[in-house]
Amino acid sequence: MKSIHPLTSIRGASAVQIMFGIVIIAALFAFPQFVESPYALHMMILFFLSTLMGSSWNIIGGYTGQYSVGHAAYFGTGAYTTMILLTTKEIPPWQGMWIGMFAAVIVALIVGSICFRLRGPYFVLASIAVAEIVRITALNLTDLTKGAEGILVTDIPPFKIGELLITDFASKVPYYYIALVLALAIILVTWLVQHSKLGYYFQAIREDQDAAHSLGINLTIWKNTPLVISAVFTSLAGSFYAIFIKFIDPTTVLPLDLSVQIVLISIIGGIGTIWGPVVGSLVLVPLSEALRSNVIAQWLINSGMVDAESGTGVFLKEHLAHAHVLIYGILVVVVILFMPEGVMGYVKKLAAKKKGGEA
Amino acid sequence: MTFSVLLQSIISGMLVGGVYALIGIGLTIIFGVMRVINFAHGDIMMVGMYLTFFLFTLLGIDPFVSVLITMPLMFLFGALMQKVFINRVLSALPQNQILLTIGLGLIMSNSAMLAFTSDYKILTTSYSSSSYSLGGISISQPLLISFLITCAITVGLYWFLMRTDTGQAIRATAQDREAAQLMGINVKWMSILSFGIGSAMAGTAGALIAPTYYIFPQVGSAFTLKAFVITVLGGMGSIIGATLGGIIIGLVESVSAVTISSEWKDVVVFAIFLLVLLIKPSGLMGKSRL
Amino acid sequence: MAILEIKHVSKLFGGLAANSDVSFEMTEGMIMGLIGPNGAGKTTLFNCITGYYPPTKGEVIFEGRKMNGLQPDAVCKLGMARTWQKVRPLAKMTVVDNVMVGALCRTNSIKVAREMAMEQIRVVRLEHRANFLAGGLPIGERKKLEVARVLATNPKLLLLDEVMGGLNPAESEEIIQLILDIKQKGKITQMVIEHDMKAIMRISDRIVVLNSGEKLAEGEPKDIVSNPEVITAYLGSE
Repeated sequence: MKSIHPLTSIRGASAVQIMFGIVIIAALFAFPQFVESPYALHMMILFFLSTLMGSSWNIIGGYTGQYSVGHAAYFGTGAYTTMILLTTKEIPPWQGMWIGMFAAVIVALIVGSICFRLRGPYFVLASIAVAEIVRITALNLTDLTKGAEGILVTDIPPFKIGELLITDFASKVPYYYIALVLALAIILVTWLVQHSKLGYYFQAIREDQDAAHSLGINLTIWKNTPLVISAVFTSLAGSFYAIFIKFIDPTTVLPLDLSVQIVLISIIGGIGTIWGPVVGSLVLVPLSEALRSNVIAQWLINSGMVDAESGTGVFLKEHLAHAHVLIYGILVVVVILFMPEGVMGYVKKLAAKKKGGEA
Repeated sequence: MTFSVLLQSIISGMLVGGVYALIGIGLTIIFGVMRVINFAHGDIMMVGMYLTFFLFTLLGIDPFVSVLITMPLMFLFGALMQKVFINRVLSALPQNQILLTIGLGLIMSNSAMLAFTSDYKILTTSYSSSSYSLGGISISQPLLISFLITCAITVGLYWFLMRTDTGQAIRATAQDREAAQLMGINVKWMSILSFGIGSAMAGTAGALIAPTYYIFPQVGSAFTLKAFVITVLGGMGSIIGATLGGIIIGLVESVSAVTISSEWKDVVVFAIFLLVLLIKPSGLMGKSRL
Repeated sequence: MAILEIKHVSKLFGGLAANSDVSFEMTEGMIMGLIGPNGAGKTTLFNCITGYYPPTKGEVIFEGRKMNGLQPDAVCKLGMARTWQKVRPLAKMTVVDNVMVGALCRTNSIKVAREMAMEQIRVVRLEHRANFLAGGLPIGERKKLEVARVLATNPKLLLLDEVMGGLNPAESEEIIQLILDIKQKGKITQMVIEHDMKAIMRISDRIVVLNSGEKLAEGEPKDIVSNPEVITAYLGSE
């Protein structure tokens, strides 16, 4: 009998785990009180945003096994809806984002009605095609989207409830809290999914559609449900990105590369797990930021390995930053070849091995 | 729009379609033999484009002559890629195979960006913009030459697959891997060979369009998508299907560019793609076979 | 009253008839054996009954209700559940989670579903495997899991497609006992496809024989074994 082993899964969380979680959340909320560096805040915001995007994809891709490589469509829908409403109708983002979510749901249902008839690689291809259609449409509907020029806003209107000013978005701190809350929200949603009928049905579809169908699972309903949940949160990520960066165009919020990056967050961390996308973001965000911001090139030069004035040094300083996506490529190849269950799965396997060795 | 404009666009669509067909054939052979959808296909083509560019600028070799160098080099490139990477995931989930090729594509395009920057490069030959005139319709000289070369390669490849022992072994592997193995065919070697041929086709296509297209590191992804559309349209795994698919897509692009607008031509292509997936997912030429 | 009526069911693939004009009835609580040489159309008939294919012609009537055009999930909810000839465990889920997926067809509560699942796991005697991944089980236990999972959907009619295929004699005997126990309880009617003649003769109340898509014979086991046409069909095909 090979590869047969019981799962020592713990149902529910122990008191220690809950305490640990509360401490971490408290620390995250307190973080901006102690750290003023805008760069540190920026990195944390990117980490939360990445978690939000990765976890959103994880619900349809990881739990339900429907590998959408077109999630940029929902991200872009959220971003564009929010920005267009803000610039043309002066609707503030915290209202615009709801309309963005609604628009993303409509896009998701269209995608679902086309793509869910297809399986495996054909589904992947169809999801890409739909996202490309959305991108080209955004590029060409210049009256609405300003096309390749993109949409720029200079001021975000202050967030007021009645007369009470919540924030005027003057620093990165309000963005930090919004991103943190969104990231916690998607983790909570994932937890709820995993511990409810939804999670069982999603995973049953992932493991075997025909078997799931024969066990009373309506495939149309139970594939579109995770897609809609996923699209709503991806759209929120897009809305947030738009007001955080204050500029969007089709090449930043709708490209195929973005769809791929969204998939990779979970793949690298470990799909179909609550913490996979968090781990994936912990790996990816610092690495790609280090490349993007030239930290690595600087470090290579400072460490004396490369002479700053030499051809290589100049070259690295100029170009390494543009190639931050390279790290995604290398990571995904390494992960697929050596840790097909992602970092989470790899660590679990190592832990199991160690345990087995001691026993 | 006059009739001659339409005719003009049909002819140039056919010519471009020939090169598309070459890209599609490469993808379809890889899929037919290994059931792996190669998302790095356009990036392999991009490598072929740069190779041609540097052979021309550094050594002064004409792009169409350089096919003789590009093709074998790209064959080795693909064979190596199969042996080192793809071979390890042949029995993995299709999703993981897709992700692996996506990753390899990202590595290729971003390495190209590191090495050659993201600037657009243009390969200008003496005949880049020259054309033949035929009854008021102009036929681009480089496009015509590349179309003819494509035809020769396609016929040659078809002959190889149909008439040679190795070709038949490849087809047997595509039809039923296990049975082929039982018949004593070295399936692993056939896979390496097919990935080599597939990427040689993509690389050659890159060489052929280099004189008429911008060369930049990210050029691949658009062609990867096109290659999918072509192969799905023709029927995954069918060479005749890919040839037809390539020409159809070339036609659709150029005709919709003049009848609708060039901005929306890709939307038309993707819409056709989705329609085919929904109505006849097995494509024009039926189920996968070589 | 008949719980299931198959009326003149035909299924064509291209021009080929996988089933042609098959009719029979099942009464509540019985075990119907469905036999025939390979390619006789047994699994196709299962697929027509459970909504995987619409029959080209004819009707499937379950508890007086016409089933044509219903999807498998709706069929399951109405109380008809099937197992698969080639087992389909949800590999990366545990045994208890697999069975819970079946139970969730009747409840929205995870807690209730878990209790229902454990009950069926005990019925098939897989308690010791409850927290194992389904993908790692040996074939005998996978077959049992398959049965537990469909039992958890609380069916009125159970369609078992070669649940003894590939099992050793001891494992087959366990499954036979399981089928007989289910009958004993009297709540579930069963239709069983099986290649093992001895087993099918032992458990069936009636047997339908299919050959080349057509119904060749129907009757009690003792009549079937002595039916010359059936004997020819089997000898002819082997």
